[in-house]
Amino acid sequence: MISAAAVRTIVLKEFQSELRTRYALNALLMFVVTTLSIVLFSVGSENVSTDVLSGILWIIIFFSSMSGLSRTFVSEEERGTTMTLQLLAPPLVVFFGKLVFNIVLLFILNVVAIGLYMLLIGGFAVKSYGIFCLTIGLGTIGLASASTLIAAIISKANTKGTLYPVLSFPIMLPLLLTVITATRRSVEGAVFSEAIGEFQVLFSYIVVMLAVSYIVFDYIWRD
Amino acid sequence: MLKIVLGIWLTIVIVVAFAFPIVPQPQQWFEYPVIPGLEEKARILFFHVPMSWTTVVAFFVSMIYGIRYLKTKNLRDDMRSVSSAGLGLMFCVLATVTGSVWAKFNWGSFWNWDPRETSIFILLLIYGAYFALRSALEDEAKRATLAAVYAIIAGVTVPFFIFVMPRIMASLHPEPIVNTEGKVHMNATMLIVFLSSLAGFTALFAWMLQLRIRLARLEQHYYQKEN
Amino acid sequence: MYDFLSGHALYIVLTIVLICWFGIFFYLYTLDRKISRIEKQLGNMS
Repeated sequence: MISAAAVRTIVLKEFQSELRTRYALNALLMFVVTTLSIVLFSVGSENVSTDVLSGILWIIIFFSSMSGLSRTFVSEEERGTTMTLQLLAPPLVVFFGKLVFNIVLLFILNVVAIGLYMLLIGGFAVKSYGIFCLTIGLGTIGLASASTLIAAIISKANTKGTLYPVLSFPIMLPLLLTVITATRRSVEGAVFSEAIGEFQVLFSYIVVMLAVSYIVFDYIWRD
Repeated sequence: MLKIVLGIWLTIVIVVAFAFPIVPQPQQWFEYPVIPGLEEKARILFFHVPMSWTTVVAFFVSMIYGIRYLKTKNLRDDMRSVSSAGLGLMFCVLATVTGSVWAKFNWGSFWNWDPRETSIFILLLIYGAYFALRSALEDEAKRATLAAVYAIIAGVTVPFFIFVMPRIMASLHPEPIVNTEGKVHMNATMLIVFLSSLAGFTALFAWMLQLRIRLARLEQHYYQKEN
Repeated sequence: MYDFLSGHALYIVLTIVLICWFGIFFYLYTLDRKISRIEKQLGNMS
């Protein structure tokens, strides 16, 4: 059905086309830098609570992903390569290939964003690294899953750019709220067991998103 | 005939919702108990909750017709899906606004991000996204397919909320008192009026949906005749 | 009656709500009748 080799081929193809233009990477990084600067500027030397800081971090991550993760599908439509891809690979292979690519891309983005965030904003000092890392890991996978699926939908529409956050936000809200809460816990230095609830939610979110994608992607992809 | 019955039914529900007095110790069958902190404002229970219920029902109806479209590829199912979504959006706006106004009088501010408020807001966003998506697609078949897909994705996320929210937002201020009490033991009279209102609103929704669908069919007929 | 109403605001609200409701119901009902009539006409034609 889905062969790992086929998926790997798609992933490699994505990386190659990305490396050629570096469009998404640039857009993402510039977006992170810009938003981070604005946040730094407005926060200044004030003591902002951990709630707000956690929220801002994920705002930055969410909107950065909105500016870059749709590229995988939209560029296919723009370059007219969708049909070729439809002929060459079964739909689910295409989906998982692009999903893996997006996960990696988002992961890189998150590392950069979080690194800068922790460096530049004094109030954001992580105390429970266990919770933090698992949150970032699960959050990245969840965010990538939902955004890849929505990216597939909007690639077929007319007003792709503005539609992407509009469609994604309600779907990602459970994820965002959970992940913000978990981040806050990790900054406040909570014990790992306290965050189990959040991890359960994140894990089930990923499972649900992947299951839905599995069922529904066929309909999106085929003309 | 049935519609007249519905009309009378809801009229009675409205009158009863307002007219039955709220007394501390209900002795007669037609009295409601006082809920501490709410008193007269508790009457909103009979209107606001059924509207929220109806908007969720409308969404699931829309999702089900969407799924049917994906199977049958019959545009008629898509048309039913949109009609239901339109009604759902209207009920959602009404539910949000009534809830917000009530919150202002009860808790002092129009919006508090309490779990239930947040979930009705998200439903509003989902409806908005659904129509935004539809307006961005011109080809009928593609529009129907993608709208149905989005309805499914959103529909899967909604139950998530019902179970996710209580876990995360346990720390926020408590749910409206009536809800916790209502689950456990709502006064019998109130329960009957409430359930009647629920049934009435659902029937109203079904009737309005049927009207919209029939109207859409007639429109289609008219445009076909023109061509 | 004015005295009664000005003391019991609740019944003013009830009256207003009932008026709104009757208006909505009337609209829906006439709409239903119009649609039925057109459907019957179309049924006769085709």
